[in-house]
Amino acid sequence: MSDRNSHQIERFSFAQRAEHLVLLVTFNVLMLTGLPQKYSTTGWGEGLIYLLGGIDQTRFIHRTFAVILMLHGLYHLAVVTATRRRPIRRHEMSLRISDLRDMVGDMKFLAGWSEERPAFGRFDYRQKFEYLAVLWGTVILVVTGLAMWFPSLVTQWLPGVLIPAARAAHGGEAILALFAVIIWHFYNAHFRPDVFPMDPAMFTGKITLERMHHEHPLEYEHLRRHGLLPPSEGGAGDTPAGR
Amino acid sequence: MRWIALTVALLALALPGIASAQSNEACLACHKAEGMKVVFPGGGELSATIDPGRFEKSVHSSFTCTTCHTEHKDYPHPGLKAATARGYSALAQQICAGCHPGPAAQYEGSVHGQALRKGVPDVPTCSSCHTAHAVVRPKTAAFRNETPETCGNCHADAAVMGRYGLRPVFQSYAEEFHGVTTRLYRLVTPMSPSPAAVCYDCHAAHDTKSAKDPTSPVSRQNILTTCRNCHKEAGRFFATAWNEHQPPSLRHSPLVYLVQVFYFFLIWGTVLILVALAGLDLRYWARLRWGGRRS
Repeated sequence: MSDRNSHQIERFSFAQRAEHLVLLVTFNVLMLTGLPQKYSTTGWGEGLIYLLGGIDQTRFIHRTFAVILMLHGLYHLAVVTATRRRPIRRHEMSLRISDLRDMVGDMKFLAGWSEERPAFGRFDYRQKFEYLAVLWGTVILVVTGLAMWFPSLVTQWLPGVLIPAARAAHGGEAILALFAVIIWHFYNAHFRPDVFPMDPAMFTGKITLERMHHEHPLEYEHLRRHGLLPPSEGGAGDTPAGR
Repeated sequence: MRWIALTVALLALALPGIASAQSNEACLACHKAEGMKVVFPGGGELSATIDPGRFEKSVHSSFTCTTCHTEHKDYPHPGLKAATARGYSALAQQICAGCHPGPAAQYEGSVHGQALRKGVPDVPTCSSCHTAHAVVRPKTAAFRNETPETCGNCHADAAVMGRYGLRPVFQSYAEEFHGVTTRLYRLVTPMSPSPAAVCYDCHAAHDTKSAKDPTSPVSRQNILTTCRNCHKEAGRFFATAWNEHQPPSLRHSPLVYLVQVFYFFLIWGTVLILVALAGLDLRYWARLRWGGRRS
């Protein structure tokens, strides 16, 4: 049997890792230029806007990266649509009843009320929730952001009160995203004891066989059945891992 | 011959300056002393101390003191014409009006000018906004960007506004898109005039009217036209974005208020759940590491 702790298998393609990097950069720049606008009456808000060269430049950077985020969003939707029928390595992000069952089961297991941990697929319920939160949050932020960017156009057809409402929602959604990333994403990708200080999978694109078997047993089984795991794992074929 | 003519011409240009400098020095000999003030018998007092540095930076620095204070050429000065400090300021407006008849006439018809004639004590006079001796050119970026604070001297004060059945509007403006932009321009790029609306862009500077007055640029009939001064393409519902300088509440901009409440609960609810989930997960790892009743 090969060493399952050293045998790496592809989890994220290069394109997916590039998408994550785009999201990482745009998220940070948008927060860096957006938060001081929301909290412009504070000392740090003023200081940041000063460092960025004034409010005009801050808004210009914010809108530039917002456009990059929107383009990335469109690209992502195109990829998801194009690959939705692929048998292997699908996005598999849609929520199912089984995810809710998994969540309840996992809570019970973590709390110590149950010995058995639910078996997760390619993405577990936490990863799905986080993905859908990013998706939904981006939609809200893009729509409200565009409303603030083009108020004259929006009010040709829609009531004007939507503009200040969009401003309130934009700020609220941004804070929600910030907390979700700082608490949930940082915990799962950085501070969780088994991955601390950082889960490298999203940057190397690979995880060990051992980890896949442990954390994503249903995907492991799926790949094994399709002969995509080494023969030592009892797979049907002898194709190299990952393909 | 030509150079003699030139010298005479130059001297003629320079002399009034020299003369004014001399005469202002005579005045300043007394008036630069700290803490000089005029106490009015009917109430109020005004500072009579002049800071020569500030005056020299003002747009009127080439004037002599007696250009405006015509009756104070000699010492001792004639007696006070006004019984109160307020009365003095009102009289002093006629001095300004001598050279600035246009704005003075507009002010007379404004809500402020009308109230002044009724004897309302808190109404601004010329010097309330422009100062008496440190007048700057109102077209400067500094003056434009300071406008909200200038108006805010009264319109941020709930006590003053309450006397006339008005609300303080400054705080709400400061949080609006226009106010945020203007404040940041003042702080970060003070030499650039804010492109966002300041008070006088909508309310007019000297002929300010009550928003309830149908002839006011911000009245219900006129506000969209006023918005379109800057927002040329503003849609027909554009002005309904306007919150009338009211913080959102169930009565004013209820949609904005409900969005705020929704996100308050959504954010803190999410934070609580995520912290609980992370805590639960950490508990599992702690038990795995240090053992527990169950492993």
